[in-house]
Amino acid sequence: MGTVHARSMDSFPMSGRDLGVHPDDVDVMEAGQETKQEILENKDVVVQHVNISGLGRTKEDYLGFEISDVFTARNLVEVMRKSHEARQKLLHLGIFKDVEVVIDISEGADALPNGLDVTFDVTELKRLTGSYNTMVGNNEGSMVLGIKLPNMCGRGERLTFQFSYGTKETSYGFSFFKPQPGYYQRNFTLNLYKVTGQFPWSSLRETDRGVSTELNFPLWRTDHTLKWEGVWRELGCLARSASFAVREESGHTLKSALSHTMAVDTRNSSILPRRGALLRISQELAGYTGGDASFLKEDFEVQLNKPFLWGSVLSASLWGGMLFPIGGQTTSIADRFYLGGPTSVRGFGMYSIGPQSEGDFLGGGAYWAGGLHLYTPLPFRSTRGGLADLFRTHFFLNAGNLCNLNYGEGPRAHLQKLAECIRWSYGAGIILRLGNIARLELNYCIPMGVQSGDRICDGVQFGAGIRFL
Amino acid sequence: MAAPCELFCWKAGLGLPSVDTDSLIVLAYARFAGAPLKIHKISNPWRSPTGSLPALRTGEEGSCSQPSQIIIQLRKQKYNADYDLSAKEGADTLAFISLLEERLLPALIYALWIDSKNYVDVTRRWHAENISFPLNFFLPSRMQNKQLERLRLIRGNASLESGEEAEKELYRDALECLNLLSQRLGSNKFFFGDSPSSLDAYVFGHLAPLIKIQLPNCRLQHHLKHLDNLNTFCSTILSLYFPSEGPEGVGRPVSQAQQGSDSDNEPYKRRKQLLSVLVAVAAMLSYALFTGIVAIEHVREEEPGGHASLQGPVHEEEEE
Amino acid sequence: MSLAAEAFVSQIAAAEPWPESATLYQPLKEDQILLSDSASSLAVQTFLRMCGLPIQVTCRPNAEYMSPSGKVPFIHVGNQVVSELGPIVQFAKAKGNSLSDGLDDVQRAEMKAYMELVNNMLLTAELYIQWCDDSTASEISRPRYSSPYAWPLNHVLSYQKQWEVRKKMNAIGWAGKNLEQVYEDVSQCCQALSQRLGTQPYFFNKQPTELDALVFGHLFTILTTQLASDDLAEKVKAFSNLLSFCHRIEQTYFKEHDRESSGSSRHSKGSLP
Repeated sequence: MGTVHARSMDSFPMSGRDLGVHPDDVDVMEAGQETKQEILENKDVVVQHVNISGLGRTKEDYLGFEISDVFTARNLVEVMRKSHEARQKLLHLGIFKDVEVVIDISEGADALPNGLDVTFDVTELKRLTGSYNTMVGNNEGSMVLGIKLPNMCGRGERLTFQFSYGTKETSYGFSFFKPQPGYYQRNFTLNLYKVTGQFPWSSLRETDRGVSTELNFPLWRTDHTLKWEGVWRELGCLARSASFAVREESGHTLKSALSHTMAVDTRNSSILPRRGALLRISQELAGYTGGDASFLKEDFEVQLNKPFLWGSVLSASLWGGMLFPIGGQTTSIADRFYLGGPTSVRGFGMYSIGPQSEGDFLGGGAYWAGGLHLYTPLPFRSTRGGLADLFRTHFFLNAGNLCNLNYGEGPRAHLQKLAECIRWSYGAGIILRLGNIARLELNYCIPMGVQSGDRICDGVQFGAGIRFL
Repeated sequence: MAAPCELFCWKAGLGLPSVDTDSLIVLAYARFAGAPLKIHKISNPWRSPTGSLPALRTGEEGSCSQPSQIIIQLRKQKYNADYDLSAKEGADTLAFISLLEERLLPALIYALWIDSKNYVDVTRRWHAENISFPLNFFLPSRMQNKQLERLRLIRGNASLESGEEAEKELYRDALECLNLLSQRLGSNKFFFGDSPSSLDAYVFGHLAPLIKIQLPNCRLQHHLKHLDNLNTFCSTILSLYFPSEGPEGVGRPVSQAQQGSDSDNEPYKRRKQLLSVLVAVAAMLSYALFTGIVAIEHVREEEPGGHASLQGPVHEEEEE
Repeated sequence: MSLAAEAFVSQIAAAEPWPESATLYQPLKEDQILLSDSASSLAVQTFLRMCGLPIQVTCRPNAEYMSPSGKVPFIHVGNQVVSELGPIVQFAKAKGNSLSDGLDDVQRAEMKAYMELVNNMLLTAELYIQWCDDSTASEISRPRYSSPYAWPLNHVLSYQKQWEVRKKMNAIGWAGKNLEQVYEDVSQCCQALSQRLGTQPYFFNKQPTELDALVFGHLFTILTTQLASDDLAEKVKAFSNLLSFCHRIEQTYFKEHDRESSGSSRHSKGSLP
């Protein structure tokens, strides 16, 4: 019959089922496959029909953009590559459990001799998926219940509901996601949530109830997010012994903020990158659209990674941010910056650098932090890949400062203030990568430049984080 | 005057004419004022005309449920225990009732309903035993939730969460209140001289449960034991105004009541034991007969004496 | 007051003198504070003036949430935070300032009982009128309570507060009462206070006690605060000895001490009739 079944080509980098495949491994395999298919390259073909079978509630017009590229293929290899790309795109939409590609010779009255039909055989996700987790964390256990309705109206809409019932606090989140048809990266999200957090370093309890809308879109090589958030914040003291400075912040505030984030990420992995750079700049303007908190907040993050000797990686990063109060208002403890902890300036307690009152950290209006890392693979490992690949050892040098600025003084005084009393630390440790979202670190740290009031963590420090210096 | 008023209140138990503070207040007041009420002592609040206990059903004016309302109703019908009080004494009555409600009542609720050991060992146990069958499974816990909510609202939201600390605070307030009451009573028979008034009814309603109910875990009781005049006050009221309850439940502390119920159960226990022995013997015997019948017959043919020796002790056991 | 703080108070506070910087926190005087909070705050201020302890009054829109017990007013003395009159009286006593030392046991019992009477009836009645009487709640209480907050938080918070108070009224059996019955209760309470006071200058003759401070705080605030109707103030005005009692305390402790900060607020009708 001359059927080329895409399933038989699983060795081709079509293993789309695991989108999370390590990018490194992909480009190695691509080179090897190229030569095998060379013979077929010159045979001209015409793609006559592209079918999608197995659609239930998904609207066909929503998928047109993803598969239209297949028609432009001029020879068999191109057909295969393009249909593979289309398959990847379809999987990326997050509405199909599985997609199989069948390429067949055209049949029927109008069939050309070199005509091909491409059929995408898709399996849709169930209308409703649920998840159930239990979590145990700082003196609290909680049960997390999640419900997801993927592809709700047939055009990629997704509705998720998360409910966490804890021994102390109850939180929930409700979000609606809608991509632009044919341009998945442009999407819109609406969130409704209630989150309760306890911050023992500030003796603070915060309950947020809010609405946010988010618009994501790529522009040239950068990703942009525009966001509006309206949040009702309730602050309270965690204990009766909380300092009076924290007590003064208690009560209800309403924040309405517009924010914009721009990010360029050329790193090959977000957790243990080997090369590439990250630049993220965000600004938040609160008060302009209502609410009773008004400020402008600027924040940036830069990270550079470079391969170094013997498989090790040299990495440098810099963070910084400033908070400008608007209209003579003082800023809220919930909006200020915090620094310190096992994923930022190591060797210091969690968020325990800078201004404080009676042992409660109040945060600051400006900060910077920088880090230099040398990541090396585990010593004595035998082969590449396997479990040892999840681990790295690293040597680090961190520095940073957090303080309040007097905005009447001008930039020179600000820089001087930020350059005074710099906290820094160095040490070494082991990193474990958890999937592609988080990492655990076990470090031996030596804090330096400690100021009175700072809480230090001299020696072994353990931490987990998504964002890290 | 048409039909006599009907009063619905919680039934007697735990050594008290009624187990509930509000019911006690109303009962005591009715006795003090000499009101001829038809009293229904029930253990199902749903059978009361207002859905809660105590409740007063009058011929003309419908039903009411709060002690203060009931007392007003009784006063309207000329049953007034406060008739002899001066205006200043009336004012004192109001003030001390407030004192009881603000200081002692929260601790009383805490001791009976919130303290887990007391609740499980005494309060829930009594209610589960005395409320009729399907209700006794969920009514006690519902009542507990209601009391917890009430306490939380009276004392402000945060105070109950801190456990131990809240308990200490409640008991400290209550201890102070008990001392103040004891000081106010002094060596008087009742709060205002020789005849009881509504204040006496209120104080009795709040104190009697603390004095009579044997709670496993209550510091208030230990303290109250030392306040002799309050103890005398309660026992005077019990003996003068609730003499009929004496033999059934009033004079008898809980431990005795429990012993009593144990001794009540004794013959049943014997009978049950005997029954179970009989059933076991019958089962064994039938098994023996089914499996061994041939053997016995064989034995009977050759040696009848063996059969008799096998049956003998069984009969003896049955006769025992 | 937490127990740890209390132990601390009893041990060390006695040694520490009352600092000049002691501050009392209450909601915003002009736009926010409600009758009941204003009354409680005035009671505490009167008590401290009677003791001769200096206090600075600071208004904060979030005073209610700053307070450790969620109730206003509270005082910040040294590094201690104490809220409500009862604990403040104890706190002052620990520092060696007491108004009720001269009373005998029976008098002290009566004083406490009457204080609870004011809390149990007058304060509850004030709360009832503020939040359960629909016209007062919609015209005065909700707008004032929510004045520091932005839309839509103002509505959320004021309705939340109203709902809470109504729940409390339910729990203590006041939910079934109508406005007339509440006024009747206020009358009854005033009657009791008036009887107790008689012709004496203070409740326990010559010397003021914390009871006098509490009664003055509530009655004076009721008399001078503009509500939806004058009925509440009229109930109090029926008792002439209570009126002259208020007048006397105002003269002694507020007019003579200083003129810039009297206990009455701007939304009030001014001084006594």
